[in-house]
Amino acid sequence: MSGDSARDAVGDYRYGFHDPENATIRFDKGLSEKVVRDISELKGEPEWMTEIRVKAYNRFMEMPMPSWGNCDMLNQIDFDSVTYFLRSSKGTEKDWDEVPEDIKNTFDRLGIPEAEQKWLGGVTAQYESEAVYHSIREDLEEQGVIFFDMDSGLKEHPEIVKKYFCSVVPASDNKFSALNTAVWSGGSFIYVPKGIHVEMPVQAYFRINAKNMGQFERTLIIADEGSSIHYVEGCTAPTYSTESLHSAVVELIAMEGAKIRYSTVQNWSANVYNLVTKRGIAHSNATIEWVDGNIGSKLTMKYPAVILKGEGAHAEVISVAYAGKGQHQDAGAKVHHLAPNTTSNILSKSISKNGGRSSYRGMLQVNPKAHGCRSKVVCDALMLDADSQSDTYPTMEVGNSSADLEHEASVSKVSNDQLFYLMSRGHSEEEAMGMIVNGFFEPFTRELPMEYAVELNRLLELEMEGAIG
Amino acid sequence: MMQYPQISIPPRSEHLWRYTPWKRIHPTKVSEMPRSDPIKYSAGQDSQMEDSTEIARSFIHSISPICKKIILNDETVELDLRCSGYICSGELRVESSGQSNLILRISGDAGWTGLRISGNVKGSLSLATINDLASDGHILRCEDWVVERDSTLEFATLSAGGFLNKSDIRVDLQQTGAQVRAGIASNGYGSRHDDHHVEIKHSVGHTYSSLVMHATCDGSSHSVGTGLLTICEGADGSDAGQIFRNLLLSEKSRAEAIPELEVLADDVKAAHGAASAPIDVNQIHYLASRGLSPEEASALIVEGFLMDAFKHVKSEKVVTVMRTRLLVHLECLMNG
Repeated sequence: MSGDSARDAVGDYRYGFHDPENATIRFDKGLSEKVVRDISELKGEPEWMTEIRVKAYNRFMEMPMPSWGNCDMLNQIDFDSVTYFLRSSKGTEKDWDEVPEDIKNTFDRLGIPEAEQKWLGGVTAQYESEAVYHSIREDLEEQGVIFFDMDSGLKEHPEIVKKYFCSVVPASDNKFSALNTAVWSGGSFIYVPKGIHVEMPVQAYFRINAKNMGQFERTLIIADEGSSIHYVEGCTAPTYSTESLHSAVVELIAMEGAKIRYSTVQNWSANVYNLVTKRGIAHSNATIEWVDGNIGSKLTMKYPAVILKGEGAHAEVISVAYAGKGQHQDAGAKVHHLAPNTTSNILSKSISKNGGRSSYRGMLQVNPKAHGCRSKVVCDALMLDADSQSDTYPTMEVGNSSADLEHEASVSKVSNDQLFYLMSRGHSEEEAMGMIVNGFFEPFTRELPMEYAVELNRLLELEMEGAIG
Repeated sequence: MMQYPQISIPPRSEHLWRYTPWKRIHPTKVSEMPRSDPIKYSAGQDSQMEDSTEIARSFIHSISPICKKIILNDETVELDLRCSGYICSGELRVESSGQSNLILRISGDAGWTGLRISGNVKGSLSLATINDLASDGHILRCEDWVVERDSTLEFATLSAGGFLNKSDIRVDLQQTGAQVRAGIASNGYGSRHDDHHVEIKHSVGHTYSSLVMHATCDGSSHSVGTGLLTICEGADGSDAGQIFRNLLLSEKSRAEAIPELEVLADDVKAAHGAASAPIDVNQIHYLASRGLSPEEASALIVEGFLMDAFKHVKSEKVVTVMRTRLLVHLECLMNG
């Protein structure tokens, strides 16, 4: 793909700038057992982690590419052209002033330090393969909240990591979770002690800067009994003519009565493959909420999942997707009701424009012993032109007669009546369309922290520019 | 040349084969091409059908010793398909014009039945299919329907017989004004496995489809309903809907519903839904307070629920046939 055609494909992407690469360590392209062992050695990891990585690498090599989803796009991924590890900074800094100047400039342009001062309980900023900046509010640290980048988490608390790592998403779960387990680097590690409520959200920001880069962060969040936390992540990358690969694994564990909310606004540039496995386990009376926004990337395959393991556990998934030119947003949700009296709600909203394709792929499963479960799934899709596509692939597997499950979905275009009404009040057609789209996504944006919601609305307005005519 | 040996076995990642894989519905080892007895048709003339690139259709075509054709023109035909022997199969070609009704009764004690139907609808055809096979029989049924300009296919299926059932039904709305109204009622009892896959394709605009599948599951029965509704590029003005409802009557029963949508045109109405729930205890209580035993109350609710699958079917003849057969079937179940 030439530079011009790449720019054509990705459009006007505001985070498409990139800095010169100043890598301190950069591995050669391609994947081998040696690369996996070298990553582990470079990080000074314990032997058991190296073994997990090597086993996962072998699984990755054995497993075929998925035979479902957008196979044409998936088969375009050239694993040999990806850089699997790139270190841009000497270490993870706690002081913003210590971060290398070029990286600091990037995050300044993205507004990270400002956001931290105003409304965040902690921040991790990951640049390429590793975290370059990390901080946590002192009061949270004093309460015993552990918030590290994943590499530091493994060094400082190996016993916790060993206990929970791969316990929710095994390496052999799918080809991309195997890849992540083999070459993971960075991500967040959070442990919230019993009864502690982290009132302000903690945030991670992921940035890919280099060409053909693979980012494989690993996040593990454990909320102990009766605790709660809200974790927010954002993602951007520059616009290049060649593709990058983002393949993360996120594992959440909510102990009895705990609550974890995980919010994502993914705005990768349209040359990034975003193939992510996110899954949580909710024990008795615990709640896991995924608030998942997919605006960018070339191909996203992401189905946040919750395993409702304890009685009375609850899952909530709110997912929105915006598919523009050349994009396929294959997103959805999975909820497994394993225990009695568990409940779940899934709300999925998608918009397709300029030939983009959005798909909802869901799974709702009720175990034979899970009495009294209730679940509701709602999928709404909006198509803005005749070149776009919208698909829905929901699956309901019910193994218990007392379960009460509902699924409903609809696909529609923007109503002429709504456009006419807004235009008769003085709005241009473009503004009217933007307002309708923002309103369509409102159930999602109202669940985000204020600053994220405002940013998302601005992003959508930018995406909607030129949508008319 | 026979295509079947060249067709690879479909993976279970395809929804069509996820819950009833090809190996399970095949009557022998998949590598074998068994000998088959012919289905005995009560009417029809000898005919031929082309092979298919799809595995189930090609398999039935390859082993079937018989193919019949029925031509309907403004008439009602009741066609009995008698299936007997260890393995039994046949093909049927239907050509319909005017306002016609076709009542298909599939009965008999065959161990395994393969039935392939292909039909063309001009005008209006109301089709009632009753699966009344012996309770230990297996059946693989594949149907392909083409609905022409301003024509309507009313499609009603009552699935009450057989132990292992796999149906793959495909309807192509090929010309403007084509309509299909499909209703499927499945009654699960014992350890019956009933799998229905329905694909409706809106090839052109201003076409209409509705699909309603109602399944009741008792004992350790397993109901599967998968649907694929495709609205092709340029098929603006299409109106499509599908709903799958499951009534779970026992602890060990299971139900799966996968109503899929693929929409490539923007000026369309497309909706789907699925729901699974037990019988509402208030309904049982209401009926019990009118003097019905819990079993009678439950049977009445099941009957109403299953008949509701045919609410879009306008042909009184078809609805009456379905109700009569369903009542007999439920009566037999209640009385052991």
